[in-house]
Amino acid sequence: MQFSSKCRETADACRFCWMCRHICPIGNVTGQERNTARARALSLSVVMRGAAELDKDIADNVYECALCGACTEDCATGWDPVIFARESRREIVLAGRTPAYIMPMLERFGESGSIYGAEEENDAFAAAAARHAAKTDILLYIGEDARHGAKKNAVKAIELLEKAGVDFTVLCDEPVSGRTLYFLCGDVKEARDAMEAAANTYGEYKKVVFYDAGDAKTAMQEAKELGIDCAAALVSFPAYIAELIDTKALKVNKGDKKYTFQDPAALTRGIEDTVSPRKVLSACGELCDMLLIGKATVLAGQKIMAEYMPETVKGMAAKRWVDCKNMGGSVMVTADSAEYLALEATKPDGCELLTIEEAVLQCL
Amino acid sequence: MTDFLFTQILSELEDAVGRENCSTREIDKLTHGVDYFWLSRMWADRGLRMPEADVVVSPKNAKETSAVLKIANYYKIPVTTWGGGGGTQGGAIPVNGGIVLDTKRMNEIYDFNEKGMFIECGTGTIYKHLEWVANERGYATMHYPSSLTCSTVGGFLAHRGIGVSSTKYGKIDDMVLGMEVVLPDGTIIETSPAPKHAAGPDLNQIFIGSEGTLGIMTKAQMRIYDIPEERRFRGFLFHNMTDAFDASRELLQKFKPSVMRLYDPAETASLIKKIVGVERDGAFMNIAIEGDAEMVALEEKILLKTFAKYGAEDLGSEYGEKWWKEKITFFYPGNMMDLPQMFGTMDTIAPFDKIEKIYWAMKEAIETNFPQAKFIAHFSHWYEWGAMVYDRFIIDGKDVPQDPHEAMRLHNAVWNCGVRTAIANGGVVNDHHGVGIKLGRLMKEQYGPAMKVFEGLKRELDPNGIMNPFKLGL
Repeated sequence: MQFSSKCRETADACRFCWMCRHICPIGNVTGQERNTARARALSLSVVMRGAAELDKDIADNVYECALCGACTEDCATGWDPVIFARESRREIVLAGRTPAYIMPMLERFGESGSIYGAEEENDAFAAAAARHAAKTDILLYIGEDARHGAKKNAVKAIELLEKAGVDFTVLCDEPVSGRTLYFLCGDVKEARDAMEAAANTYGEYKKVVFYDAGDAKTAMQEAKELGIDCAAALVSFPAYIAELIDTKALKVNKGDKKYTFQDPAALTRGIEDTVSPRKVLSACGELCDMLLIGKATVLAGQKIMAEYMPETVKGMAAKRWVDCKNMGGSVMVTADSAEYLALEATKPDGCELLTIEEAVLQCL
Repeated sequence: MTDFLFTQILSELEDAVGRENCSTREIDKLTHGVDYFWLSRMWADRGLRMPEADVVVSPKNAKETSAVLKIANYYKIPVTTWGGGGGTQGGAIPVNGGIVLDTKRMNEIYDFNEKGMFIECGTGTIYKHLEWVANERGYATMHYPSSLTCSTVGGFLAHRGIGVSSTKYGKIDDMVLGMEVVLPDGTIIETSPAPKHAAGPDLNQIFIGSEGTLGIMTKAQMRIYDIPEERRFRGFLFHNMTDAFDASRELLQKFKPSVMRLYDPAETASLIKKIVGVERDGAFMNIAIEGDAEMVALEEKILLKTFAKYGAEDLGSEYGEKWWKEKITFFYPGNMMDLPQMFGTMDTIAPFDKIEKIYWAMKEAIETNFPQAKFIAHFSHWYEWGAMVYDRFIIDGKDVPQDPHEAMRLHNAVWNCGVRTAIANGGVVNDHHGVGIKLGRLMKEQYGPAMKVFEGLKRELDPNGIMNPFKLGL
């Protein structure tokens, strides 16, 4: 195993520190000691010292991390446990020790170009996308998560941009952003290739609007960190909607609904946008925030992990519903397909779940 | 043990808590073998494996805990309770293998009792989560130790923990009303409907601080408080420690601040300079006053008048506010001492007539016998009658033996020296970190014949000696 000095240094800093335990969305559901940054760091530091093999148990634990960065955000001295979690995935994959439950996703990527396999069939989406097949200056990038389970939401996003009079393109052969492969394998050639191919596509447009926050983070932050850039202006969907409301392209009538916004970690901690979704929802009604919001948000869903840890992902979403209700909220709004799917599967009676585009559409 | 018998016991444990909550995975055994104890960390740092459990179980409640203890008793298997693993005394390390019982699945909030001003919760609840539950309803737990975010309710109860606002709100043993406890034989008991009674000795206080040697606390009613209308800070610089003690003793006869922290000149010149920014010679003291705004204003006047009498320089509120904001930052990697340094906190407590003498005696003993050690201290929990001293020794990595066995010998020798000096001058083995395996040998030295009381309880409740062996000197 070839761990970088940065990875070793970070693991050694975190191996005896529990200060971020309370914030881990996985550990808070499982209650397992291993689901902490310190447990992961300790096990890897022991491997680095030759006192343990990077065996199946340690590898499994590396894949039990959502890479959401809650621990990183919480660290008062700036350590980033995502570094060793991601780098060890790369080492595991390169060493041919990829866990058996990860392999089918990589095989599907090889076969279909997506770790989820073939896209879901959805006539309404096909029709909506077909209306925007022509090349324009603006690309609405739908993304892998939405195309594999949340196309009905993407249809609403398309409808909202249509109401704003935006001339935009939706690709039927959209390339993947590289996000899912980067999540599973870290910095490997295949993930870089995917990000570069996506960047080339983005570069054909003046502006790219990312429907899902995760893809926005990959394009706007992760790819750039790997030296992959593109000339297009990149913007998240909530930020673009906020802009359309600001410019009166969307005329919103404020209603009396109380919205609780589930900040996607990729949006707040990734591209540091904690403002635009709230601007959008404040225009539509009243905000009823939970205790942990903005950069301190807690993950409410993770579509890749739902493939191999479905009950834990449901547990994360269920906890967020509790957080919402504890503050008197009942209408949860999301801006991330994975979180929408998990929240939808756990929605308590008497509560309502909306995407941010649905919330706006209801107020036009 | 044969593979056959081990598998038989494992299947019984799986039956008790569910197969998914019963683990023999390497990752679970490894991560339950290293806690915050310097020796366990050093052992791992040197590439050695700490003693590990044979199986880690995570029960959901008292019933499942009871089932585990019945199995453990029948087969005479050691049981070590693990909450957050943030203890510094090795109390959660399964030194003799066997079962580690992780409490973190016992995290249910059973009752938010606003009239009774308490929350009833599972003892595996992370204290910060309890704080969030209280905050959502406009209350606070007022228990703010450095390990707030990582340790459990049960962990704090097990070693008699304390938070930074203790002078006003008390220690963890002041914050609990009642508890559910599983005895070593699996019997589930409740302590009493309310504390502060005259129905015999307080059962709560028998189990609080028992570090998993007498039973396992599974549910607790923890007090909540109104969020104070106002919290004001005031930093002071004293010329010397004696003046600071005299001023503080006088102040505490008048009212109780929430935070009182006096740093010796060495710690003022190191940690306080680094984190809070005070770059002055002398002893820095931070005071927080909180509660009803009118009371706070009055108490601030009394504070200023009292401390002025003893020549304290008023540094205003800025440093105190900075300290409050950074109160946990002190303990993050990069700010906190870490390997390759050797370090430890030898906190003790005594009445005002002894506490300063203990400080000087310990400082002299450590610095004389271990010239390679630096000695720093602060005094952070105060009572009308006395205070605790949080004194630390730090040895630079270059002076720490690379051989782990030699490093352990040096570590234990420093501790023997420091704690024996504290005991000889009227202190106790420990103030709020507990005893664990680190200080077990010194319990008999402090208690003498009184140790029989603890040993008698242990014999009666845990005749097979399965509960957290070699901890607390039992």
